Amino acid sequence: MSDTRDQGCTEYNELSRRQFVTNAAGAALAAAVLPAWMPRVVLAESAAESRDVIVSVFLRGGADGLSMCVPFADTNYYAGRPTIAIPRPDSAQPNRAIALDDRFGFPQALAAMVPAFRAGDLLVVHGTGSVDTTRSHFDAQRYMEVGKPRDPSLITGWLGRHLATVTPMRTGAPLRALGLSDGIQKTLVGAPRTLPIADPANFAIGGSLATRDLRTDWLEGDYFLTQEPVRSAALDAVNTIALLRLIDFTGYRPAGGAIYANTAIGRALRSSAALIKADVGVEAIQMDVGGWDTHVNQDPSAGSMFNTMQGLGNALGAFHADVLGAGAYNVTVVVVSEFGRNVRENGSLGTDHGRGNAMFVMGKNIAGGRVMTFNWQPLARENLESGQDLKVTIDHRDVLAEIVKNRLANPNVGIVFPDFVPTLRGVTK
Amino acid sequence: MSTEPAESVLPTAPDDGAECAPRPSRRGLFKQLGAAAAASLLAPVAARAQQPVPRGSSVRRATRAQDVGIPVHLPGLIDPVSGWNSTTQRLVHRVTMGATADELARAKRMGYRGYLEYQLAADAIDDSAVTAVVATRYPMLAQTPTQLYQVNQELIRAQLADAALYRAAFSKRQLFERMVELWTDHFNIYVPKVGYLKIADDRDVIRKHALGKFPELLSASAHSPAMLAYLDNTLSRRTSPDQNYAREIMELHSMGVDGGYTQQDVAELARCFSGWSLQGRGDFGFVPTSHDYGAKTVLGRTIAAMPTTAGAAGIQDGETMLKVLGEHPSTARFIASKITQWLLRYDPSPALVARVAGVYTSTGGDIKAMIRVILEPEQLMDAPAKYKRPFHFAVSALRATAPTATNLATVRTQLGTMGHPVFQWDPADGFPDSLEFWAGNLLPRWNFASVLANSNNANLRVDIAPLMRVPTADAIVAQMNTAYFGGKMTTRMREELVAYLTPAPTSTTRVRETVALALASSSFQWY
Repeated sequence: MSDTRDQGCTEYNELSRRQFVTNAAGAALAAAVLPAWMPRVVLAESAAESRDVIVSVFLRGGADGLSMCVPFADTNYYAGRPTIAIPRPDSAQPNRAIALDDRFGFPQALAAMVPAFRAGDLLVVHGTGSVDTTRSHFDAQRYMEVGKPRDPSLITGWLGRHLATVTPMRTGAPLRALGLSDGIQKTLVGAPRTLPIADPANFAIGGSLATRDLRTDWLEGDYFLTQEPVRSAALDAVNTIALLRLIDFTGYRPAGGAIYANTAIGRALRSSAALIKADVGVEAIQMDVGGWDTHVNQDPSAGSMFNTMQGLGNALGAFHADVLGAGAYNVTVVVVSEFGRNVRENGSLGTDHGRGNAMFVMGKNIAGGRVMTFNWQPLARENLESGQDLKVTIDHRDVLAEIVKNRLANPNVGIVFPDFVPTLRGVTK
Repeated sequence: MSTEPAESVLPTAPDDGAECAPRPSRRGLFKQLGAAAAASLLAPVAARAQQPVPRGSSVRRATRAQDVGIPVHLPGLIDPVSGWNSTTQRLVHRVTMGATADELARAKRMGYRGYLEYQLAADAIDDSAVTAVVATRYPMLAQTPTQLYQVNQELIRAQLADAALYRAAFSKRQLFERMVELWTDHFNIYVPKVGYLKIADDRDVIRKHALGKFPELLSASAHSPAMLAYLDNTLSRRTSPDQNYAREIMELHSMGVDGGYTQQDVAELARCFSGWSLQGRGDFGFVPTSHDYGAKTVLGRTIAAMPTTAGAAGIQDGETMLKVLGEHPSTARFIASKITQWLLRYDPSPALVARVAGVYTSTGGDIKAMIRVILEPEQLMDAPAKYKRPFHFAVSALRATAPTATNLATVRTQLGTMGHPVFQWDPADGFPDSLEFWAGNLLPRWNFASVLANSNNANLRVDIAPLMRVPTADAIVAQMNTAYFGGKMTTRMREELVAYLTPAPTSTTRVRETVALALASSSFQWY
C-alpha cells in the first residue's frame, strides 16, 4: 500500500489518479471530473441576495508584488533595487508611488485602482502566497489552481470544487461558470455546467450566418439520441449558445463612466460585466493575464511592467466603476499570481522568481481600503527567505477560504481546500 | 480465425425515427421570450437532460457505467456501435485513427486475424510515401541536439505537432500510430519545458519501441534527456537527490500508484538515479560526481555500495532497478490495464487485465502479444463504444475527407481550441483518456468540423467534387456515407442530412455545410 502521500484523510489517500466518477445519472455534467472521495454534501440553500459572483484573475508568470504594492517606507527596498525601485510618494519624480498608507503605495501604473481603494472596496494582501517553495511556473501555478501543493492526484480546481459543492445561484442555469480561455483552466476543472469560452460574444457555430441556426438545430437534434454524458454536453452547448446570444456584448454600455480598454484583460472584464448584469446564472468567471515574468528590463515606472500593470489596473478600475461602485451587483474579484519575485534586482534590471507576493481582493463586501500584512519585517537580508525573498506570512488560501465561506456562501471549505485549516484574516466585512 | 457473426451480438437499439416527439428548439424559445423569461425556461431543459437511470436488467451495464463513466445505455438512445455488427469493422475502428473505405475493404479481405497481424507487423507495411513527406516537410524530426539547440522553440513545437498529425492521419501504420499516441501520453513530456529535446525522445524512445517490448521502452525513456530534464533528474545531486523522476517512473510509468512502493522506495530509487543527466547539447550522460554510491534498498532489493572511484560503473544502480521495474508484477498489471483501456474499453474486467498481465510476464512485456489477447474478437464485440479525444477526432476527420494537406497549422490551432494541444500537457500523467474529461466541450469540435469541411486553400483542401458527381441530395449524402462512414450511416442521419441538403444540393457551400454536419455529428465522435 503506497504511503507516498501526506497523511490526510484515508479516503483521499486511496484515490487513484484516473478513477474519478461523476455523480449519479441525474448530473448532466459537462467538464466535471469529480474525485470519488468527495462526500455527497448536502448543498446548503443560500440566500442569493447576499451571495457574490466571483471573478478570479490569475496573473501568469510570477508578478512582482513589490512593484504592485510598493514598500516605500523601507530603505532596504531602495538599497536592493537601485534601478527599478519606485520612488517614495514625497518624491518630485513623476513615477512616484501613490501612498495607500504610511508603509505602502501603488505605482502610477495602478492609479486607476486608487478610487476603489479609497472607497474601501479594494483590499491588498501583502506577503502572501503558497507554503510550497517551488519556483517552477507550472508547478506553482498548478498548486495554486488545484488549491493544494504537491498532490499529483488532485486534478480538480479549488473553484471547480466550490461550484460542485454549492447550490447553483440560479436553479437550472445552463452555464454556471466559464473560463475565458480556449481550454478550461485548472482552477475550474470539476465545475459543473462550466465551459471554456474564449470569447462569450462569439460562442456560436461558425460559418454562414444565414444557416447558422439551422445547423445548430440539426446538431441539437442529432445529439439528442447519443449516449451520455455527450448527450447532455450537447444540450448544454446549445443552451449556452442560445443564452449567450441573448446578451448584447457588442452594444454593452458600462455604467459609472467606465471605459474598458481594448486589451485582453479589458475585453475580458467587459464581457464579465455584461454577463453578470444579464443575471443568467453565471456565478464564476476565470481569466488570465500574461506577461509578468519580468527577468529582464522590468521597468515598472515607464517600460514593460508599467504597461502590464496599467492594463490590469485600468481594467480593474473600470470594472469597479462599472459593476461594483454603485453596489447594485454582488461581486468579489480576486487577483493572484503563482509567486512573487526577489527583493533585489538582478544584473539584467529585472527580478527572478521569489516567494511572497501581493494579492488583490475587490468587492463591496470586502474589508478594503487597507494593505493587510502579517508579521511584516523590514526587507533586510536576515529577514528574507533564503536571504533573497519576501517571506510568505499569509497563506493565500486563508484569503480565498474566507471568501468562499462568507461571500460565496459555501461552508464546504474543507473540500475546496483539502488538507488545509484556514486562518481567519478578516478579509470580508 | 476471423468470422463474421451471423447476427449482431449487440443489443440492437431501436433505429432512429420512432422514439421522440418533435424537439423544441431551445434557441427558438429564447429568441421569442428574451433573457428573463428564458431563464425561467431553464428548469424544464435541465429536467429533460437529467433523466434518471431506469431500472432493469438492460441497464446493469448502465449502473456500472455510473461508476466508471462509460457511455450510459439508456433505452431509446442510439448505441454508437449498434450499426457496426461486423467484427472486422469494429476492429478497423479500434486499431486505426479513423476507418476509411480502403481500410475497411482491406480488413474484409484479410479477415479479422489477418488484418490485426497486418497492422501489428507495422515495419512491413510500405509507408514510404508518408516517410518521404515527413522527411521533406518536417526535417527537424531527424535532427540532432547540436543542430536543434538554437532553433526557435515555436518552430520545433509546430513541427512536432504537425508531424504527429500528419502521420496519424496519413500513415498506413495505423495501429502503430495509435500506440505512439498512448505512449506519448504515458511517458508524458511537456514540450514548452524541454523544447528540442523531445524530438529525440519522440523518435528514439516512443516511436522506436511503441510496438516492441515494454521494458525496453521504459529503459529508453529513463535514458532520455527530454524525460530527465522534464522531471528534474538533471538537478538531482548526491547531497540532495531529486525525487521527482523516481516517483513518476514508479507511479506513472511502471508500477502504478497502487503498485506497492513506499516513500522510502522513492527516496532510495532517487539515489539510484542520481547522476543520470545530460551532457553536451542534449545527449544522455552519467555524471559520477552527482551520483550517490552508497548502499541502497529499493523494493526489498539491496544494492551494494560502491567506492566513489567506481566512476561510470555507478550507472549500474539505475540499470538494475530498471530491470526490476520492467519485470515487476505491478508493472505487468498496470501496463496491461493501460493498453486494455486504450484499445478495448474504459472498464476492462479484472479477469481480462489479469490475463493480459500474465501475457506481459510470460513474454517479457511484449506489447504485440498483449494486443493480440486484448483484441480477441469476442471481447471487442462485447465492448461499448469509446469516445474520440479531440486529436483522434481531428485525425479521423482528416482520414474521412482525405484532403490535400501541405500545411496542418490550422488543424493544430483547432486542436488547441478543442483543449488538446498535443505535447503541451504539463503534469506528468499525460492527457487523460476519460469520457468525462473530454465529453464536455462540444462547440469547438463542431467548429473544427466546419473549418475542415470548408478548407479549400493551398494549405488544406477538401475536394467535394467527387461527392457531387450526381448532384442530388440523396446521391451526395450516399457518397458521403460511403466515403466517410464506411456505408454505416444510420437511416435517421442519412435522412436528416438529406433534409438539410435538399434546398440547395448543387450549392458547394451547402454541400460543405453538410459535410461539416456529418463530421460534427454524434456518431462520428465515437469509435
